[in-house]
Amino acid sequence: MTGAIFSHALRRNWRQILYWGLGMALLGFIVMWVIPDVDALQRTTEMLQAMPRPLLQFLNADDMAALATPEGFISIGFFSRAVLVFAVYAVSFGLRVTANEEDEGILDVLLSLPVPRWRVVVEKFAAYTLMFLIIVALSLGGLWLATSLTTLPVNMGRVLESGVAMIPVVLVMMALTTLIAVVVRRKATAVALTSGIIVGSYFIDFLGRAASGTAADSLRLVSFFNYYDFQAIIQTGIRIGDVVLLVVVTLVLLGGTVWAFARRDIGT
Amino acid sequence: MRQDNAVIETDRLGKVYSGRKGQVRALDRLDLSVQPGEIFGYLGPNGAGKTTTIRLLLDLIRPTMGQALIFGQDARENSVELHRRIGFLPGELNLWKNLTGDQVLDYVNSVRGRNDLPYARQLSERLSLDMGIRVRCYSSGNRRKLGLVIALMHKPDLLILDEPTNGLDPLIQQIFHDLMRETRAEGRSVFLSSHILSEVQAICDRVGILRGGQLQAVETVSALRSADFRWVTLRLREPVSPRLFDGLPGVSDVIQSSDGIRLRLVGDFDPLLRAVESAYILDIRTEEPSLEEIFLTYYGSHALSATSVEMAAR
Repeated sequence: MTGAIFSHALRRNWRQILYWGLGMALLGFIVMWVIPDVDALQRTTEMLQAMPRPLLQFLNADDMAALATPEGFISIGFFSRAVLVFAVYAVSFGLRVTANEEDEGILDVLLSLPVPRWRVVVEKFAAYTLMFLIIVALSLGGLWLATSLTTLPVNMGRVLESGVAMIPVVLVMMALTTLIAVVVRRKATAVALTSGIIVGSYFIDFLGRAASGTAADSLRLVSFFNYYDFQAIIQTGIRIGDVVLLVVVTLVLLGGTVWAFARRDIGT
Repeated sequence: MRQDNAVIETDRLGKVYSGRKGQVRALDRLDLSVQPGEIFGYLGPNGAGKTTTIRLLLDLIRPTMGQALIFGQDARENSVELHRRIGFLPGELNLWKNLTGDQVLDYVNSVRGRNDLPYARQLSERLSLDMGIRVRCYSSGNRRKLGLVIALMHKPDLLILDEPTNGLDPLIQQIFHDLMRETRAEGRSVFLSSHILSEVQAICDRVGILRGGQLQAVETVSALRSADFRWVTLRLREPVSPRLFDGLPGVSDVIQSSDGIRLRLVGDFDPLLRAVESAYILDIRTEEPSLEEIFLTYYGSHALSATSVEMAAR
């Protein structure tokens, strides 16, 4: 029955949604909690200005003007960390689409039922995408709750846009993990490859930022993180072009996964 | 030759696995057919290609040559449609460990888009399976019972069972045999693999013998029985001469060992027991012949050595 695998994946993982969501909401709450007032924010910015610039670039916190605002502080204090934490989510749940059950031998039973292979991939991916949306919503909820307890003027619309813009970049990483796991068939290899690509992507983005106008800068085009510039989003709003591009890349990777999974042996 | 009403029909079905150590031919040009209402035993030692055949039939792996038809439809092209009519029990059964038996059945039921839970409950009661326990807490035998319930609960037209009684206690094995007979009585078919001759003899109509990826023969169980023999070990208080057994009907290969007398017996026990009636018998032990020995009896040493040479060459 259509949707059975989707709802099963949600039912099996609701506790994890809760843990991830509450954890991220707590992070958002703490980030807001440490901004007691605008003066303190200014002092923090001055302190950061004393730090080496490459380090600030690595932390994606080199824009002092942005950092001096509450939204800028949230973008650096929360979103710069959240995207890395969610990279772990992407790898972990990307493996759950096919690799974990194949490794455990459970796929034999599932695929002996009247279900096409593409549905296993699509329904599970959809379930983990919905779970991620819930986690992002809980995270933003934590930020909103903490904001409402302070007197700081925070543009929650921009914070929301930063949260929404983070979704497709995490989905790209999840789709990439799923595809690599289907192609290489070994979980450990898939984890190593995907992690390598994600870390490499982060470094390419960092190097490109640090050396603008060089070849390294143009290499940023191939980095996921180039398409999620949370500092720019918090200042100028969501970049629809980047979101669309990442969604298209996700769909292409997912299509590749479905294609590869339908054509290969299971569990060999 | 194509048989229109065959439930399973394979035509030169083959599978070669490619790995780091080169290619392994797991199944070689298999031609096989299973008829409606038949229990077909697929017999062979470990590594003979039984599981490969089953996985090909279920489209879990893809053939490197040939084709498999189930209910006249290509097992690969029409796999989803065919799986509605098939119940499957894998040889190594792994299920969702954090779910209870009930939850597993519920999930399988919803994926099939049916409501087979009332019959599933009947089956679990019949197999004495507690459905409220998490799969991770099941013994291997109970996990196997759950696998049988999954395979049987939608009353499929074809059951494909890989070593179904592995880990089941004798009482449950009997219930399993009854279930198979009931399946046959309802006109449904069973394809079961095993390496246990007695199990196949107990419930199957016909048997295919697989060895080294090649189908050696397809025989009725009654024909196979004619090759049936037992190894008998008699432990006696006082030693007797092996010559005592000379000319006894059905007795051959008599060997005197430290344990007593070991011999090969075809047919009834009575002549053997009468021959040793004057001796004090401490113990009688019987052993089933191995598949290798049955094969040797059935096809002769030439066939066996030819196959062994082929296997060694691979």
